[in-house]
Amino acid sequence: MTPSANPVLLSLLGGAALAWVTLASVSVAPNRIVPGTGHGALEVAGWPGLALSLLPVVAAAGLALKGGRRQLWLILVLVLAMLVGLPLWLALAAHSLVDPGLPGARLGVGAGIWAVLFLLLLSLLEVRTRLELSRWLGGMLLLIPLASLAGVLTATPWLDSLALRREFVTRSDAFVAAVGEHLALVGAAVGCGLVIGVFLAMLMRHWPRLRGPGFTLLNFLQTVPSLALFGLLLAPLAWLAAELPWLAELGVSGIGWAPALLALIGYSLLPMVRNTFVALDEVDPAVIDAARGMGMTSGQVFRQVRLPLALPVLLEGVRITTVQAIGLTAVAALIGAGGLGRFIFQGLGQAAMDLVLLGALPILVMALIADALLGALGEWLRPGALHD
Amino acid sequence: MIELKDISRYFSGVAAVRELNLTIDKGEFCVLVGTSGCGKSTTLRMINRLIEHSAGEIHIDGQPIRSFREEVLRRRIGYVIQSIGLFPHWTVARNIALVPRLLGWEPERIAARVDELMALLGMSHSRFADKYPRQLSGGQAQRVGVARALAADPDILLMDEPFGALDPLTRDGLQDELLALHSRLNKTFVFVTHDMDEALRLADRLVVMHEGRIRQQGRPIDLLREPADEFVESLLGGSDRGLKEAALTPVSARMRRESTPSSAPAIDADASLRDALSLMLWHRADALKVVEGKGSAKMLGTLSLTDVVAARAPTASGEEARP
Repeated sequence: MTPSANPVLLSLLGGAALAWVTLASVSVAPNRIVPGTGHGALEVAGWPGLALSLLPVVAAAGLALKGGRRQLWLILVLVLAMLVGLPLWLALAAHSLVDPGLPGARLGVGAGIWAVLFLLLLSLLEVRTRLELSRWLGGMLLLIPLASLAGVLTATPWLDSLALRREFVTRSDAFVAAVGEHLALVGAAVGCGLVIGVFLAMLMRHWPRLRGPGFTLLNFLQTVPSLALFGLLLAPLAWLAAELPWLAELGVSGIGWAPALLALIGYSLLPMVRNTFVALDEVDPAVIDAARGMGMTSGQVFRQVRLPLALPVLLEGVRITTVQAIGLTAVAALIGAGGLGRFIFQGLGQAAMDLVLLGALPILVMALIADALLGALGEWLRPGALHD
Repeated sequence: MIELKDISRYFSGVAAVRELNLTIDKGEFCVLVGTSGCGKSTTLRMINRLIEHSAGEIHIDGQPIRSFREEVLRRRIGYVIQSIGLFPHWTVARNIALVPRLLGWEPERIAARVDELMALLGMSHSRFADKYPRQLSGGQAQRVGVARALAADPDILLMDEPFGALDPLTRDGLQDELLALHSRLNKTFVFVTHDMDEALRLADRLVVMHEGRIRQQGRPIDLLREPADEFVESLLGGSDRGLKEAALTPVSARMRRESTPSSAPAIDADASLRDALSLMLWHRADALKVVEGKGSAKMLGTLSLTDVVAARAPTASGEEARP
């Protein structure tokens, strides 16, 4: 590879520098309800501090201009260092801008920092791709800045005034419970969706006549807005719970987890069935012919050949379903199913954006982690992938 | 021995194979040849019941094939297809071990058999055993395909255009190896192809099929000499038949045990008359020096242009023989 400037990295880093200088790093509010006032990087650190904070970006951009593999490794280190530095920058802002005399004062993370975080993550992705590092290693690298954030949050009082942290501290128990509910709902929905979906896909493979109507029904289900589906389930479930006491004892009622779970399973079916069907159907017919010709029974063909070869695509269905369910479960809070959506709707009701973030950020993180883990698993399961 | 008696096969009312009778002796190399859609693949696949015959009976060593469970029958018959169909998620060694595993052999015996087969097909164990199919070239993959088919030492090997997707050079090499394997293993090979040169080169018994029926069968040289009808004649190459016949006849069958001027170009005694003719045309020579083996200096005799073309009246001890 002949070294040449990397335009992607250059624009990402240029954008980051621009956002850093022009956008508000943080916002400071005297209490929870009043909207905060934005403060740029200059106000946080003064001219010398601002210049110092720009140094790594400029250095990284200089390296990107030069290109080359060694330069990419250096850029990787610099980008990680900047990510590690972001929580410290917030701490500095808290120190210089938050009035210690106001116990209710809170520090909000400003557009500048969000933008820089986003652009730095994209740069990391670009560098990872250029260096041909595996997804796993890329994910592991992200642990370094996360450790820095966790360290600053737990070991020092520097970020006590951070708005998100304040929201968390006042409802830490509820937060943990909400995360648990969220994960339980997603896990149950994806698990049931997987079992039912694979079953349906195999039925459709066996009886081709079911394919048309089956997919039409699932497509239709997918187009019903989630709230409407929750509403539609309310009456029949309430009736069932009234008729069958043992169901009511299980906690089934018109609202709560039961309709949420049913709706989530319903939404998970289309991607599950479609991917499973395509995965099983796409296996090279020559391989199946050889397998039969060699004397495998139909059960052996399915278990030893068709299923393992279909697994990566099937897993892709699980990945799509999981990411989708993590997002949809947020809406389920509206019908009392719990989960992180509760904070989002509470926050919207109280016009407290930080509370909304307390619900939304973990959902985002969960979705990203699920996406990365299942994606990596699928990659790993691709035939012969280990021995390249 | 494989016997097909009055075999027919209908696909939704249309006959793909009609009242076909064919007996393939043990150890024979039988090639079914014909244009696409002539029923040759269907016939082959009926032998291991991948396609069931609609009428008639198929016997292997005297036993009707329907007296076996399909899987049991197929494990006794090797099967090689054009698209090879190696399992992409298994290594080369595991692919070869497929049938022995299905038969429940001991792991040591399987490992030993895999080693043996890889050696037989000239594949280095250390280089290839742990590779995955997509890391192989087409020729290497089909070697594995043949090794896999031979793994449980079947008496019969069915091959459905196994070299059809390979480049000519690789195909030539594999044809040679297949002939060597056949003469060494004493197994019955049933081979389907639409490539007449391949068919002529490989077959002990050539079966020409057309529209679901056998038009003619016999030794390749007999079919070339006396095609039963115009269809067979044109399939066998029409005006090209002279060259095709020359390709089947070894130089040793026509040479005279006389010495030649040393300036004449040399030809291997095992080469075909076609090669000899080509060499003469190329060197503008009307006589060749016949030597024993490629690049060898030991002279066996002389082959002149007259010897080549006077093929119908063999002069010396040469008898008509298959290569």
